[in-house]
Amino acid sequence: MEFQPPAPGQGHLPPDQVAPSPLQPALEPLQGWGSHSFSGQPGPGSHHPQSEETLPHAASPRPQVALAVALNLRTFLRLRPCDDSRVCIHLPGVSVRRSWDISCLQDLQKGFTADFDESKSPSVEQLDTLREFAGIAAGATAPESLATLAFLYMCLAISAKYGDVPSVDILVWSELPTGAGLGSSAAYAVCLAAALLTACGAISCPLKDGESTARWTEEELTLINSWAFQGERVIHGNPSGVDNAVGTWGGALRYQSGKITPLKRVPTLRILLTNTKVPRSTKVLVAGVKEKILKFPAIMNPVLDSIDAISQECQSVLEAMPANPSPEYYPVLEELFDINQHQLNVIGVGHPSLDRLCRVTASHGLHSKLTGAGGGGCGITLLRPDTSPLAVEAAKRDLCACGFECWETNIGAPGVTLHSSSSLDAEVLQALSQS
Amino acid sequence: MWERSLVLSAPGKVILHGEHAVVHGKVALAVALNLRTFLRLRPCDDSRVCIHLPGVSVRRSWDISCLQDLQKGFTADFDESKSPSVEQLDTLREFAGIAAGATAPESLATLAFLYMCLAISAKYGDVPSVDILVWSELPTGAGLGSSAAYAVCLAAALLTACGAISCPLKDGESTARWTEEELTLINSWAFQGERVIHGNPSGVDNAVGTWGGALRYQSGKITPLKRVPTLRILLTNTKVPRSTKVLVAGVKEKILKFPAIMNPVLDSIDAISQECQSVLEAMPANPSPEYYPVLEELFDINQHQLNVIGVGHPSLDRLCRVTASHGLHSKLTGAGGGGCGITLLRPDTSPLAVEAAKRDLCACGFECWETNIGAPGVTLHSSSSLDAEVLQALSQS
Repeated sequence: MEFQPPAPGQGHLPPDQVAPSPLQPALEPLQGWGSHSFSGQPGPGSHHPQSEETLPHAASPRPQVALAVALNLRTFLRLRPCDDSRVCIHLPGVSVRRSWDISCLQDLQKGFTADFDESKSPSVEQLDTLREFAGIAAGATAPESLATLAFLYMCLAISAKYGDVPSVDILVWSELPTGAGLGSSAAYAVCLAAALLTACGAISCPLKDGESTARWTEEELTLINSWAFQGERVIHGNPSGVDNAVGTWGGALRYQSGKITPLKRVPTLRILLTNTKVPRSTKVLVAGVKEKILKFPAIMNPVLDSIDAISQECQSVLEAMPANPSPEYYPVLEELFDINQHQLNVIGVGHPSLDRLCRVTASHGLHSKLTGAGGGGCGITLLRPDTSPLAVEAAKRDLCACGFECWETNIGAPGVTLHSSSSLDAEVLQALSQS
Repeated sequence: MWERSLVLSAPGKVILHGEHAVVHGKVALAVALNLRTFLRLRPCDDSRVCIHLPGVSVRRSWDISCLQDLQKGFTADFDESKSPSVEQLDTLREFAGIAAGATAPESLATLAFLYMCLAISAKYGDVPSVDILVWSELPTGAGLGSSAAYAVCLAAALLTACGAISCPLKDGESTARWTEEELTLINSWAFQGERVIHGNPSGVDNAVGTWGGALRYQSGKITPLKRVPTLRILLTNTKVPRSTKVLVAGVKEKILKFPAIMNPVLDSIDAISQECQSVLEAMPANPSPEYYPVLEELFDINQHQLNVIGVGHPSLDRLCRVTASHGLHSKLTGAGGGGCGITLLRPDTSPLAVEAAKRDLCACGFECWETNIGAPGVTLHSSSSLDAEVLQALSQS
């Protein structure tokens, strides 16, 4: 039986932005998203009927609900036309700077049949060919290798369907840490998909003069998401699809039995995102949970039901909030954080560093929970609208004093977005102006 | 006329698993704690009844004739199945000069003694002329069953002094226990004594004090476990005060607020108690180190579940963290919100590790005892078998 925690996030990141060129229509910057699970993970993922028999001791499959939300630490991609007939990618965060002749890439397009589209998965042969072409060792899993491979695949597959390989120069930069379960690889894939589809004319470029941001249509977002998912497949093999969905549509979404349902309107919630920087293996943690469930089914299965109920309760609260902005919801969200954090300890994915994170924020009256795989990694802390900046600063200071990294940001943020250069903040502009 | 001196003791109790969930109909496991309450009874020269409870600063004595008068308040058919009535307790309070509604330990201990002494002698004969001293290793008000241990000791002592039960300690023996029937009688009277002190007790504490070992409690039904191993533990008192009433009410409120989230948690805790019972019952027949990791894991899981239902406390988190730093596993026991925690020690846990853990716990300002659970119930002791500290405590006049 496969366990698919909603936020596997082992990849690395890409940011994205585009600068105008005199020869081609200006493409405006795109934003990808980090995502993380808000509650209800890890737990059994989609269940296939034939796998029930392999679990004689587990209770009947339970459709676990998880909530994933868009994290406003963004990946930026800057795309501009390239003078020579080349394709260039520069990913400073993972030390990748590669470029290829268009003609060499056109040759590789032969590996993609005429009917190849966004619903087809990358094949072993296609990826082997691309690895050989790019000089990537078979089985290489370093971020730089996977990022390059994903780029090549998406570039060739998208242009195979829609036309010629575009002569573009792409730079990707991210606010997201990699390998922390925050969806950095999906944010990269979403940015790439949107940029390449736009460059190939498969989708429009909806940013009008004078606008600071713009978003694509529902149909275009669906196309972006499908291609991004294929990019995620190159990086992860068997991703859930949650990360790229959050990266594409933003806001919050519900994930249950392989089914992804965006929540209609969710409030933007201020949070602290803290990275304990304690490394852990998601695979090992997920396996440990499975083992505990098999060892003590009567003890653990109710816990999964309880966590499920937490996700559902939280969804209800989030959906009620935009129509009825009221401070009364925050204590409920905070209580759900606390309960869920203890439940995650019950199933064995806690860690002393996370306990410390929770204790430190609690000393400032704030409520936290781990997010993602646990065993270290990241935690989120809810900030109320009226939480004083002093309290926030004090909490950040204490968290950093623990050796953690801490960002003040928000969740429920917009999905993939085009930006005008003038609307970007100084740090992003500077990062994207590297050549 | 009662001629012998005797010394007896009863254990305190801790809840091993199931606290709070038990209020909602789930299974709890209660175990005898080998911190004991000792009672020394000897004949009194004058026609008096004397009690000395140094732990709660009680030293009282009464003329037998005054007490015999009070016996009129107990009908001829009064026995161990009848609860103390409001009138009976009012009369005794007035007699002893205890204010109505007084809840201080000294008042309740005195009242319980008077009630039990009069009720038992009303059924079995005259009020015996005895001198009783009670001393305990147990802290009071910490949820460790100290009042029940007292009541069990009193019941056993008074029933023996009145001839209702035998005195099974033979010369040369260091300890002796009563028969099943006698223990049942002791337990019933002890329960009445608990009623004087607590009003509406569950009966678990006095059952544990009487029979020892471990028992399962669910929806008012008490079932002793057949044979359980004696497990070494650290018992730690954070000394953080809390109200059991408030904590119990808080759990109920949380369940009403989030039933779909909380009810499965209660089911999970129920399953933990059941799993632990299975392990404890399997251990005596098959002593094997493989059970200890399971017991430890159940402690950890239960502790997190108790945090889920909201009865945790930073002091308890600290207790768990400190013991974890020595590779030991702990959980709160009882009401939570402070109070006590228990730490499991394996048979092969080194004395050095135990000492280091105790040291660190004391450095937190906690009180810490090294003791065991699954201990014997109410027991008679020969004086020569008592350790020096107990002997000295009991030799106060």
